[in-house]
Amino acid sequence: MKKFIVKFRIGVSIIMTKFLVFVLRLMGRGGTSLPGKIALKICPELFSEFSDRFRIIMITGTNGKTTTSRIVAGMLDQAGIKYVTNKSGANLSSGIATTIVSALSLFGKPLVRTALLETDEAAFKTIAPMLKPELVIVTNFFRDQLDRFGELYTTLSNVREGIKGSPDTKLILNADDSLCASLGRDVPNQVIYFGLGDKVYPDEYIEANTDAAFCINCKSRYNYHSSFFGHLGHFQCPSCGYERPHAQIECTQILEYDNLSSTIEIQMPSGKITVKLALPGLYNIYNALAGAAIGRILDLDENELTHVLEGFECGFGRMESLDVEGRNLRLILVKNPTGFNQVLRYLLTQNDNCVLAFIINDKLADGTDISWLWDVDFEILSFIANKIRKFFVSGIRAEDMAVRLKYAGIQHENIFIEHDSEKLISKMIEASGEKETLYILPTYTAMLDIRKNFKERFNLKEFWE
Amino acid sequence: MYELNICHLYPDLLNLYGDRGNIISLSKRCQWRDIEVNVQNISIGDTFCYDGYDIIFMGGGQDYEQTILQDDLMNNKRKGIIEAVESGKVFLAICGGFQLLGKYYRTHTGKDIECIGALNLWTHAGETRLIGNLVFQVDFLKTQNHNGYVVGFENHAGKSYLGEGVKPLGKVIKGFGNNGEDGFEGAVYKNTFCTYSHGSLLPKNPALADHLIMLALLNKYPDFQGLAPLDDELENLTRNTLIKRFTE
Ligand SMILES: [Zn+2]
Repeated sequence: MKKFIVKFRIGVSIIMTKFLVFVLRLMGRGGTSLPGKIALKICPELFSEFSDRFRIIMITGTNGKTTTSRIVAGMLDQAGIKYVTNKSGANLSSGIATTIVSALSLFGKPLVRTALLETDEAAFKTIAPMLKPELVIVTNFFRDQLDRFGELYTTLSNVREGIKGSPDTKLILNADDSLCASLGRDVPNQVIYFGLGDKVYPDEYIEANTDAAFCINCKSRYNYHSSFFGHLGHFQCPSCGYERPHAQIECTQILEYDNLSSTIEIQMPSGKITVKLALPGLYNIYNALAGAAIGRILDLDENELTHVLEGFECGFGRMESLDVEGRNLRLILVKNPTGFNQVLRYLLTQNDNCVLAFIINDKLADGTDISWLWDVDFEILSFIANKIRKFFVSGIRAEDMAVRLKYAGIQHENIFIEHDSEKLISKMIEASGEKETLYILPTYTAMLDIRKNFKERFNLKEFWE
Repeated sequence: MYELNICHLYPDLLNLYGDRGNIISLSKRCQWRDIEVNVQNISIGDTFCYDGYDIIFMGGGQDYEQTILQDDLMNNKRKGIIEAVESGKVFLAICGGFQLLGKYYRTHTGKDIECIGALNLWTHAGETRLIGNLVFQVDFLKTQNHNGYVVGFENHAGKSYLGEGVKPLGKVIKGFGNNGEDGFEGAVYKNTFCTYSHGSLLPKNPALADHLIMLALLNKYPDFQGLAPLDDELENLTRNTLIKRFTE
C-alpha cells in the first residue's frame, strides 16, 4: 500500500510539474524552479526514487560550475549521449527536481539516461546522497556569500558529507586547491585530479592568498612552489606533508593568453593535446581541464576532445558577447572576490580603449552582504586606467561601488553613477568609439535585469532555451 | 610632516568581510592629507611591539582560522595587546577581533574559551546568527550637520555583553548590535573601539575614520591642530543612501 502511495505521489508530481513548466513558459517566465519545488512537496522521495534510472553527473564548487557544465555538455554531445541538464543557475534542489521531471514521460519513464546537474554547494550535501551520482566534479572552494553559505570550511564539509555516502562515485577534483583536493584523501572513491603544471603561469599580479593559507590537517602555513590565483597553486605543508597531489589531467604550458582566448597544452594519460580555448582567463583553463577529464571518461579521443574544447562558447552571462550599435558588449558575471579578481586580471589583457560598468545588487541571490567588494583588487585597474574611458556604477549598491573605486585610486571625476539600466547602456555607447568594447560586470540578479533589458532592446535570446 | 604607523594584526587569518577596507580607508585618508602612513602586517610567529604603532587593527575570521591563531595570540601577543589598550593606543577591533579582546567566549556546550581580556566584556554563543544591515548612532560623532549614524553589516553568532568600565560604541537604530537584546552596539574603552559592523566600516563612515586618525595624531603629536577636510561627496552619498534605505 505504501509503495502504491509513493507511486501515486510520483505520478501526481510529474503531471503537476510538467503542467506548471508549460504554463509558466507560456506566460513568458523561466519556470526553472517553482515546478520542482512543488514536485518535491508532493513527493519528497523524487530523487531517491529516480537515482538508479539515470547516469548522473554532478558539478559543484564555488566558481566555474556553469561553464564547466557547459563544457561537459559538449563532451556528452560529442560522445552522442542524450542527457538533460539544468540551466541558468537553477541549481538548488527545486531546479534539479524540475530538470529530473522534464526527463520523464508522463508515466515516469526516463526519456534520456543521463543527467548533468550543476549543483549548489550547500544543496549538494542533501541531494548527492539521494541521487548517488556516477561522477562528481568539484571545481574549487572560495569565499562566497558568507551571509548565505557561512564559512568556507562549512561549505567544504557540506560537500564532503555529500560524497560520503557514495563510495562508487568517481571524483574529479582540482589538485591545485588544497581544500578541494582534500576531498580525495582517505576515501574509497576513485579520484582524478586536474590542475596547472608547476610554473606554467607567471605570477605577476598575484593577489594575497587569503582563503586558505594554513594546512587543512595540521594548521601549519603552506609553502607554495607555484602560485596561480587565490589559494590555488602547488602547495605543500612542511609539518604533515600534505601536498598538491599529482594531476592526471594537467595543463603543462600556456602558449598564448589574451583577452579573447588562450592556447594551452594539456597532458592527458593518453598523450598531449594543444587546444585553443575560445574562453579567455585562467579560471577557464581550469574549467576546460575538468571538462577534459569527463571527456576522457567518456572515451573521447584526442581529436574529439580538442574539437569540443575549441568549439566551446560561453554560457549564461559568465561571459557573453554581443554587438550593440557597432560596439562589442561583453557581459561578465561577478559574484565573489576570487572570481572578480580573475575578471579584473582578464581585463588587464585589454589592448584598446574600453568603457567599464559595474552593476552591484545586494538581493538574496547576490548575497546581501557586499563587504566582499573590499576583498577585490580593484587597485590593479590602475595598470590600464588610461585605456578605460569611463567607469560606470549601477545597481542597488552603485554608491558603495563608487566609493570602492575611489579608494582603489580611480579619479572621482571619472566615476559615474547611473541607476537606470537603459540610460546606462546609452551612456556607455556614447562614451565609447566605434568597435570599442563595453564591459558590463553585474552580480547575479543584476545580470538577470540587464539581460531582460537587452532582450527587449537587442533581441537577446531567452536563457532557458 | 606627520606620520602614522598602522599595525594590522593577523591579516592572513582575521580577514573576513572586506576588513582590509578599513586599512585602505585609514591609509588613503592620511595620504590625501599628506600624512605619511606605514602599514605593518603582524601574524603568527611575528613579535608584536605595540609602542611602534599608532593604530592597531584586528578583524574577524572564520572559526577554523581563529583556532589556528589561538596559541600565538594568547602566548605571544596577549601581553602586548593589553598594554597597548591600557596605554591609550588607538585600537579598532571588528567582529571576531571584538570578541577576542574580551574575557572569554562561551560555546554552545557551555565551555569557556579564554580570550585576551583587555576589555571587560564577554561573549556567549547564540542560537542563530545575527545577520543583516546595521545602523547605529554614535554620540561622539554627532555634530550640527552629522547625526552620528554609522552604517555597516553584521554577521555574528556570538552575543557580547559589556561589563563595568566599558561603554557601548553606539545605540542600535536598525539591526541587532551586540546581542540583539539591550539595544547597544560595540564597545569603547580608552582609545579602543570595538564593533560588529563590517562591510566595510570606515570607507563609508568617514567621520569615524577621521576620528581614529585624529586620536592617533593627538597621541603622537600633542600640538596637532586638526585634520584638513576632504571631499567626501561619494562617501556621504553612500552613507546617506544606505541609512535612508535601512531606516525608513
Ligand atoms: Zn599539515
